[in-house]
Amino acid sequence: MSAQTQAQSASLPSTYAPAPGHRFKVGNLALIKPAFPPGHRRTPHYIRGKEDVTERICGAFPNPEKIAYGFDDEPKTLLYRARFPQNHVWPGHKGSAHDVIEMEIFEHRLLPVSKKRITP
Amino acid sequence: MRDKPLNKGPQDVGGEPGDGVGTIDHCMTFWEKQANGLRSMLSGWRIVRTDELRRAAKDLGAQYSKVAYFERTTTALKNMLLKKGLITESELKAKMDEIRASFNVPDEMESPLKKAAKK
Repeated sequence: MSAQTQAQSASLPSTYAPAPGHRFKVGNLALIKPAFPPGHRRTPHYIRGKEDVTERICGAFPNPEKIAYGFDDEPKTLLYRARFPQNHVWPGHKGSAHDVIEMEIFEHRLLPVSKKRITP
Repeated sequence: MRDKPLNKGPQDVGGEPGDGVGTIDHCMTFWEKQANGLRSMLSGWRIVRTDELRRAAKDLGAQYSKVAYFERTTTALKNMLLKKGLITESELKAKMDEIRASFNVPDEMESPLKKAAKK
């Protein structure tokens, strides 16, 4: 990646699909809701309650948690790629402090975090 | 942390000790290719949705991790088709008996998992 492209991707929210009304911007911190509702949920348990940095805005996509029960594809839900430092997700992580894990998380799973507590 | 977190599905194994990753390519058997083809076609036509099938697989509960991948996905598909009323148990059984008879498959050829379950 050239320096110019890198600068562009840092300043522009990168999207795969249109993302109207997205709540989080690239670089924003968020907390994965520490909620454990029943049913078909696409967010792994180990990541709930962890903080992430928004890596990119993927776009608006049908909500798989609704489709799984036969509901409509609409309205679409905002999807983000979230980045987590590995040593934040796994206490006792033995790899590099720079290791990260990324996963795609829907907006209804995220809460805004104002104060920076983690260093991705 | 709780030993068994609330509403955790059988697929949610992140962070649990594993058996290592198998690196041998087992290829797909004939029935696995056929079952996969059927699943792709039905989800392509949106008769069943991929997310419905994932949910149906999770609904297998304890059976989820005891059966092989294609047995899991095919059982999920069967359950979803039955639930949607697109096929009935008796239709499925009649068709399976018909196919079994045409191949004359002896019982010993049954899945080792099924055999173990019978014992």
